[in-house]
Amino acid sequence: MKTQNTIPKIVLTAIAIFVTILALFPLLWVIIAGFKEKTEVLATPFRFFPEQWRVTNYTDILSDAVFQQAMLITFGGAIVFAALTLLVNASAAYAFARLEFRFKGAIWLYVIMTMFIPGMAILLTSFIVVTKMGMLDTMGVLILPGIASAGHMFFMRQFYLNIPQSLEEAALIDGAGRIKIFTGIFIPMSFPVFVIVGIGAYLGYWNSFVWPTMTVTNIDLVQIMQYLYTFRSERSSEMGMLMAGSALSALPTIILFLIFQKYIISGIKISGLK
Amino acid sequence: MKKNWSQDNLSAYVLLSPILILLTIFVVIPFFYAIRVSFYDWSFYQESTFVGFRNFYMVITDRLFGEAVMVGLKFALMVVPSTLILAFLFANIVKGLGSRMASFVKTSVYIPTIISGIVASVIFVFIFDYVGGLANYVIGLFGYEPKGWLADVSTALPSIVAPAIWLGFGLTALIMLAGLLDIPENYYEAADLEGAGAFAKMRYITIPLMRNIFLFLMVTGFTANISQFELSLVMTNGGPLSVTTTPNLYIFNHFRNDVMVGNSIAASLLLFLVLGSISAIIFKVLNSEKAVDG
Repeated sequence: MKTQNTIPKIVLTAIAIFVTILALFPLLWVIIAGFKEKTEVLATPFRFFPEQWRVTNYTDILSDAVFQQAMLITFGGAIVFAALTLLVNASAAYAFARLEFRFKGAIWLYVIMTMFIPGMAILLTSFIVVTKMGMLDTMGVLILPGIASAGHMFFMRQFYLNIPQSLEEAALIDGAGRIKIFTGIFIPMSFPVFVIVGIGAYLGYWNSFVWPTMTVTNIDLVQIMQYLYTFRSERSSEMGMLMAGSALSALPTIILFLIFQKYIISGIKISGLK
Repeated sequence: MKKNWSQDNLSAYVLLSPILILLTIFVVIPFFYAIRVSFYDWSFYQESTFVGFRNFYMVITDRLFGEAVMVGLKFALMVVPSTLILAFLFANIVKGLGSRMASFVKTSVYIPTIISGIVASVIFVFIFDYVGGLANYVIGLFGYEPKGWLADVSTALPSIVAPAIWLGFGLTALIMLAGLLDIPENYYEAADLEGAGAFAKMRYITIPLMRNIFLFLMVTGFTANISQFELSLVMTNGGPLSVTTTPNLYIFNHFRNDVMVGNSIAASLLLFLVLGSISAIIFKVLNSEKAVDG
């Protein structure tokens, strides 16, 4: 239908496929390098595929107790973190979107203000605060500080602002309380926005490195990115295992993304940017 | 009505209390604490004394901090424009594809965005390895001698730019694509009737209508990349010399090695002033534009 393209579609498709391969290449490479012998990972001349496919790197790292523990504890932490992020920020988003209450303007300003404080500016003093609270080396120190997020709250509020007023008016007339309306009507409707914020929170937790490095030394609580970083500096000769571990550490995230990709990709909207 | 109002008050405070408590403990208190500590000679091991602006003075006059800021600027100036241009070209290509192909391409290019900085660093350290790395293999095909990419002063920073572009490309391209798809098709049809060529349409329709998206991506990209430090921490640890020490890595290294944290905090607050005002300005601009749009 569109005739405005002067470049034939086949060329566009070819370029698009080329860029796609380029974007996926580093990831494919790390996965495939995981199947190589450890001396072969960086053998000259460069070869993309292993001479012989071996699974030993993968089985070795998977049977490493610390790796297993790190994967499990990070996954569990990320799930709890994402759930709490949704609960805390959605409650606030609903209150700001739908309720009229005293000091609303001032409280709004207080919350939004925190959006402009970059993590690095408070990294050191946050560390001092959690130290004084006796939270070091607990799951709490990994999960709690990042839950409340003005950005996530703001995003969900935009979503709630677009839900028709009539829905909750009917419930109000029936005598339902506001919190009941939030849990009974708004939360069930929130699936698309919860997917986006939930995955974002999950990713933030799963990929975090600096905060766990500062606050956790207990081997039972070591997070996956921390594990990889330490592995790299302490067992630098085990390159194949490092590749396998890196690939495996990205796997849960990629699977989650592929399951929910429809929501995430369609969630990339530009409303408010026009 | 009156009764409803007071009911709302209570519900609202119940709903808001978790976010307010958490933000206060983990963001607001540390922030004001940081401001206070920046005026003190604070350490974990001794009584602190008030030193006025000495921490700030020491940071500003520290040649290494100035260098770190320059590194951060250079890094962001290499990453952001190249990401934007590549993403814009790519978004235009994807727009011309059939819908099944487009959705496959969109999903695939988004995947690097969800990869952690640590894993990206591990991968690119191998890519830039002197002996068996891909980069030297590729330049070898063109007859060039192998380089020590991450160890050479002239190539270390560009080598860290590569994974940064890789990580940021997908999301940027998809935001651009959303912007392109938002431009009404009849604008282009009208231009076709006027006999406008592809270049004229790009210049007079696409680029002006994408202005705010470019602006948004530029500012968010800029603040994100100037704050980047995982890549340089893992890939080069700031070296060689300090050509890849970004401001945040400078701060982080000080925090790891110094007893006195007042300095590092003063440095991070100075950085905050710059980054915070950039974000505030963009927020303001975007918000007012939106109001005009209705």
